[in-house]
Amino acid sequence: MVDEGTGLIAIGAGLAVGLAGLGSGMAEKDIGAAAVGAITEDLSLFGKAMIFVVLPETIVIFGLVVAILGIFVMGS
Amino acid sequence: MLLPESMSRIVIVGANSHIDEAIEALYSVNAVHLIDHTVDADEGFNIGNSRPYAPKVAERLLKVRAMEKELGIDKKTKALPITDVEIKSQISSDSVEAVDAEVRSVIDRRNDLNQRITDLNATKRNLEILSELPIDLELYSGYATIDALVGMAGEDPTSALSGIECEIFQGVAKKGDRPVAVFVRKSDRDKAVEALSSVGFNEIALPTGTGSASAALAAVDRDISTAESGLEVVQKELEMLLEKHKSFLKAADEELSIQLEKGELPLRVASSEFTFVIDAWVPASKVEAVKSDLESMVDGIYVEVQETRGRKMAEQEEAEPRFKVPPSNLKNGQVVKEFEYVTKLVATPKYQEIDPSILIAIFFPLFFGLMVGDVGYAIPFIILGAYGLKVAKNKDWRAIATVLFFGGIWAFVFGFFFFGECLGMHFVESAHTLDVESTWQGLLGLDGLPEIFNGLLPHETGVGKLHDVGLLLKMSVYIGIVHLLIGYGCALYNLTIQHGFAHAFKEKGGWLLGFIGIVLLCFGLAMFLIYPDDYSFSDVLPFVGIGLVLIVVEIVMNIKHEGIQAILELPGFIGNILSYTRLAAIGMSKAGMALAFNYIAINMIAMGLGGVAGIIVGGLLFAFLHLMVWTLAILSAGLHGMRLQLVELMNKFYEGGGIEFKPLRIKRKQTIYTEKSTKEV
Repeated sequence: MVDEGTGLIAIGAGLAVGLAGLGSGMAEKDIGAAAVGAITEDLSLFGKAMIFVVLPETIVIFGLVVAILGIFVMGS
Repeated sequence: MLLPESMSRIVIVGANSHIDEAIEALYSVNAVHLIDHTVDADEGFNIGNSRPYAPKVAERLLKVRAMEKELGIDKKTKALPITDVEIKSQISSDSVEAVDAEVRSVIDRRNDLNQRITDLNATKRNLEILSELPIDLELYSGYATIDALVGMAGEDPTSALSGIECEIFQGVAKKGDRPVAVFVRKSDRDKAVEALSSVGFNEIALPTGTGSASAALAAVDRDISTAESGLEVVQKELEMLLEKHKSFLKAADEELSIQLEKGELPLRVASSEFTFVIDAWVPASKVEAVKSDLESMVDGIYVEVQETRGRKMAEQEEAEPRFKVPPSNLKNGQVVKEFEYVTKLVATPKYQEIDPSILIAIFFPLFFGLMVGDVGYAIPFIILGAYGLKVAKNKDWRAIATVLFFGGIWAFVFGFFFFGECLGMHFVESAHTLDVESTWQGLLGLDGLPEIFNGLLPHETGVGKLHDVGLLLKMSVYIGIVHLLIGYGCALYNLTIQHGFAHAFKEKGGWLLGFIGIVLLCFGLAMFLIYPDDYSFSDVLPFVGIGLVLIVVEIVMNIKHEGIQAILELPGFIGNILSYTRLAAIGMSKAGMALAFNYIAINMIAMGLGGVAGIIVGGLLFAFLHLMVWTLAILSAGLHGMRLQLVELMNKFYEGGGIEFKPLRIKRKQTIYTEKSTKEV
């Protein structure tokens, strides 16, 4: 069986990705709604709208990096 | 390649008597971007009048478009092209009017027949009511003192009409409504109508004619079927007309549209009583050729090159308002041209800045391939992309097909030479291979595979997306640093050509130094923190020291004009770099999904069930699950690959907001341009 420490690292990694994902989701929700509204008005805004919608995605990548560091650096 | 094409501004002066030839010549050189004349821009000049032939052309075009609509001709209707000489002679010999008369007469007959069928159907409905009543048609009218009320009633009207002297005939009720005929004195008519309204009476017009209603009904039915067969004949005639005239109509539509555009061109240029003046942008490389072509083609016009616009913003600021912004003509090869779509999603590049299409063309497929990194997914991408590029005409689809094709090629390269992977399974087994993981070597029993691949692949057996995470993360970060440095470099370059190097360095140099500083600082700290056994603090001190110095320089340079932003942006650099770890992360997520799906399909189903059934069910499931991963790969790898270009790279330098270069040009699809017609001009 794995020891307690490894289990805690796994939980920590899960929380890091999960919570960061929630955060990005909440941020993208509002931007996405506004972006769809703008695109309905003027289709040429698609490119700019997409940039704004995907901006918060980076947050979840931070979570992922922390999780990976947790697993591979602390775990080994 | 990098900057939009250099533009020269020309002015064309000529006598109004030669304007038609001049217009033809402008279209034939295919390199003249007209500058619209603005009212009061030049003293003594006004906006010109459309050519005398324009109204006639517009009228004919209207007729042609109306006919096309009636006959159901649209963009998708296929028709044989006609030569322009032929269509011009047909139009000038009043063919449009002749065809219009022909089509109009058939359309009128069709409309008449439709109207007749509608009328007959109304009569038929009335007669159906009357045929339920035992009264001949001539008995309903023609009395001196009696009126008839005929219609449908919701319920039996006898009690409602009890106070009025009348005779009531009723038919059999259907769905609650019954045909009713009531004969009353003329003086009692109003009272009867009022009483009948309480039983939901709906009056119909009194019939004309003689004999029984059923006989009349049969006659109406005959009339309707005659009219309908007449309508069918007319529809056939219309279809024949469509076949007969579709080539002519489509060609005439195109030819007349071209003539109208040419005829209305003077509305965009300056004109005085005897002369016209046209301002236009022409690519600098073609300006001399355009000048000599125009002057040789048309007598009595003079072309002068006014300026060749440089890239300095100051030149743009000093120009007259209508000459301020030169159009941007992106100069890219056939492949990079397809990636202009991504650039234009954001905006058309300005005349004075780098066109990022070529950077996108290099990095977008590369990132896509790195994220997919699997031979099994790459091959369908390449096939689909190549097919799309061959058949697709629509710009959106072409852009997607281009990314799939070139991304697929990179995915193949990475999958074969770097990851050594096909459909989520490594070619050869390694010390890292997990118990739940299958490899092609183990699955197919090919013991010769390691010998072939050990020389090819890094780490002997290829990089594992799930084991060599550290390597992939580092690789992503380094790719990110290079990508971002290119972005900062472009920003410096843009500002240098716009305002000179000193200005550029003052504005963007600080950020570049700060970025390098952060990279060095983080590199040093990461080495020290992650590998404390291998590196002492004094080993990493040079990195940390130089990094800190550069950061301080950045803050000093930027604090004046950027304020607190100069410090707040520093974590943003780290964010930007870490954003590239998605390159590794998406590869990992694909690999994780593929691993799980392979385990389900191969180990659980195919081997678990065993036998032929197991292999069939497992095989089907295997195909379906991998199709899912493959489809998701388009979305995630495509979107994230694009995002890294649009957000991380282009935000560093790209401003956009240019005007697209649109030379006067004739596009012919339905008409064929022939030499003969050129000589006619």
